[in-house]
Amino acid sequence: MQKKRVNLSNLAKREERLAYKLLIPSLIILLLIAIYPLGQVFYSSMTNRQFASGQETEFIGFENYRRLLSVRVQKLEPLLDENTGEIIRDPETNEVLRERPIDVLPREPFRYREYRQFSLFGNRYVLGATDPNFIQAVINTINFSVVSVFLELVLGLGVALAVHNNFKGRGLMRTSMLIPWAVITVVSARMWEWMFASNRVGLFNTVLYAVGLGDGRMDFLSSGMSQMSAMIAVDVWKTTPFMALLLLAGLQTIPDELYEAAEIDGANKLRQFFSVTLPLLKPAMAVALIFRTLDALRVFDVFQVLLGQSRYSMASYNYYQLIGNRNMGMASAIGVIIFILIFVFALSYIKALGVDSDD
Amino acid sequence: MSKKKLLLVLLLIMALVFAGLVGCGTDDDDPVDDPDENGTPIDDDDDTVDEPGEDVVITIAAGAVGQELELTEKAAQMYNERNEGVIVEVLDTPDLADDRLGLYLQFFEAQSAEVDIYQIDVIWPGDLAEHFIDLYDHGAGDVVGDHFPAIVENNEVDGALVAIPWFTDAGLLYYRTDLLEKYDLDPPETWEALENAASIIQEGERADGNSDFVGFVWQGNSYEGLTCNALEWIASNEGGEIIEPDGEITINNANAAEIIDMAAGWVGTISPNGVTGMAEEDARAIWQGGNAAFMRNWPYAYSLSEGDDSAVQGVFDVSALPAGKGSPAATLGGWQLGVSRYSNNPEIAADVALFMASEEVQKMRAIEGAFNPTIMSLYEDEEVLEAVPFFGSLYDVFINAVARPSTVSAPRYNEVSTAFFRAVHSVLTGDTNATDALEELELDLQDITGF
Repeated sequence: MQKKRVNLSNLAKREERLAYKLLIPSLIILLLIAIYPLGQVFYSSMTNRQFASGQETEFIGFENYRRLLSVRVQKLEPLLDENTGEIIRDPETNEVLRERPIDVLPREPFRYREYRQFSLFGNRYVLGATDPNFIQAVINTINFSVVSVFLELVLGLGVALAVHNNFKGRGLMRTSMLIPWAVITVVSARMWEWMFASNRVGLFNTVLYAVGLGDGRMDFLSSGMSQMSAMIAVDVWKTTPFMALLLLAGLQTIPDELYEAAEIDGANKLRQFFSVTLPLLKPAMAVALIFRTLDALRVFDVFQVLLGQSRYSMASYNYYQLIGNRNMGMASAIGVIIFILIFVFALSYIKALGVDSDD
Repeated sequence: MSKKKLLLVLLLIMALVFAGLVGCGTDDDDPVDDPDENGTPIDDDDDTVDEPGEDVVITIAAGAVGQELELTEKAAQMYNERNEGVIVEVLDTPDLADDRLGLYLQFFEAQSAEVDIYQIDVIWPGDLAEHFIDLYDHGAGDVVGDHFPAIVENNEVDGALVAIPWFTDAGLLYYRTDLLEKYDLDPPETWEALENAASIIQEGERADGNSDFVGFVWQGNSYEGLTCNALEWIASNEGGEIIEPDGEITINNANAAEIIDMAAGWVGTISPNGVTGMAEEDARAIWQGGNAAFMRNWPYAYSLSEGDDSAVQGVFDVSALPAGKGSPAATLGGWQLGVSRYSNNPEIAADVALFMASEEVQKMRAIEGAFNPTIMSLYEDEEVLEAVPFFGSLYDVFINAVARPSTVSAPRYNEVSTAFFRAVHSVLTGDTNATDALEELELDLQDITGF
């Protein structure tokens, strides 16, 4: 490359300049629609700006970030009997009684709230955070993304392999499998909400009750584990077709001759899959994974419609801070954190899967 | 140079998009105008003078739940007919209050003159006060005496009347008269009596073969509705009003903890587990299907429960909610009309708002849509009482309704309420107990409000 550059003719140099000029419009557009708003958000994340308010805005540096991200681990000492100095135990369970997190976590300059307790080497600790809701939202989102994208990849690959085969009605099959993906998420989330209903109005309760599981009053959307499983189920149902479509496109680029050659060499179907299909599908898979992961990290609609204020994703927490609390500065800071997180994910994907190298 | 062109192009696109939107807006409005649109050349009374220029357009952002939109448009038509030179248009807004607030905030952020009058929730005047004019400057002083004093007080911020009351709401207990008779029970007046009656009926009905039957449904999802429900429990158990009007945070007390723990005990017993995910309509669906003995809900469920498709038609009644240690309490709901500070014609807009909230319009809305008037005399009006009988018998409930602490905690009420309902919800789902949750909540509220 370097050598060639030296030998560039005048003509080539002129062409190069022209090329740069031609790029200017798209650079300007990029500047206007991406860099400028991003800069704006970054700036307002350093202020205490209120949304839709005449209140004076002040520059407060990184305070919003500190409020969102500060965490601290504090040891919970056992309570000692005032007279004997011995450790007090619960008379019923014989467990050691300890200090309460609310008493030991610092309250200045920001109050730390209990996020979670854990034991290590016989000691008990509390993990405090200034905004446990946000920490929980980040963890929810990452859990959601990892599990749902993994399931979508596995199922999507299965679907793609199935519809890649020649069979009667393949065209119809390929089109109809896209229906879940084509339905607007808010609409399909409502639909799922009805199916998850906590009495026998809901499909799941009806079916489970009919086969003898549960009492017909199972409640999927208001407690921890089942909430996340429900979110993942909705997302997998919705986006597996999209994953399948991307993988199908990848499958179609693999030439048939390779399979014929493998056949002649005596490779069975399984061997063909692992030695031919999978390696050649890697680029398509990488693209599909990046698409889906970045999408999943921004998940908003499913959480907002089905869980509202009872469990947040990063984006729905952002919405709550902006519209609910009108905390524009804080919401901007959340936006920046989401941006950085997604950026990190994208970079590590590109590195790990080697997408950028053309050869 | 290309930047200039680009800007031009961008402007052009925006202009096109904008024109498109405006076009759609007016198109939408046309067909709803009344049939006599072209009839009746306007004769009549009035002062808003007919300058030969353009008509003044006043836009009301109003709700569209059930009959709401239809009735608002009817009232707008009434005003149009009497006031030459003014056209009142109705902009319909999202059904969920949070979404509606989101839309309004965008208008306010842009200081838009597009909407002149906003229909606002009873908890918003404090938060949104800066965007509304003082209606006392526009003759509201003459009429506020007719409205419930508690609502007027709620709508006053620093001595200014930011919105005129339009219709009100209060939590009620719906109960099945046929089932109470069947099991020989009286309508419950305390929460214990309700617990008792609900479990007797639930047990009996399930034994009779309806395995979907539940005793008591209410709003236990993690949202504003839970704030309303929990405030009713607490206020009726002498546990205060979360934050008192003078700014004292009183939520961390034994009476409040006691009643919240009691409510947590309902989940999975007299109420289904799913009650912690229920909003108004979820509760109503179960109730109206005939699968609940008691329901806590707003008055709107009354006319729907009386409908022909309702399984409880004719076999239910409403009463004040039960009480704990104290006297019964109902959370104050309802909607107001505020005039935007950014309106081009605040004078006329204020006149429209006062007309909309006048006795004449409120009476029409009460009779045709069972919307609770905010004007006290209408609760004695024979025509109104004939259409909606319980307005008379529950008059006391409506005038004694407990306001949420929205004005005192403004502009951070939403954070206060969210902290509150999340704390209560965590007790209902069994993640913690009420004593601990309220201790933590007290500190949270201190952080949020600075009291």
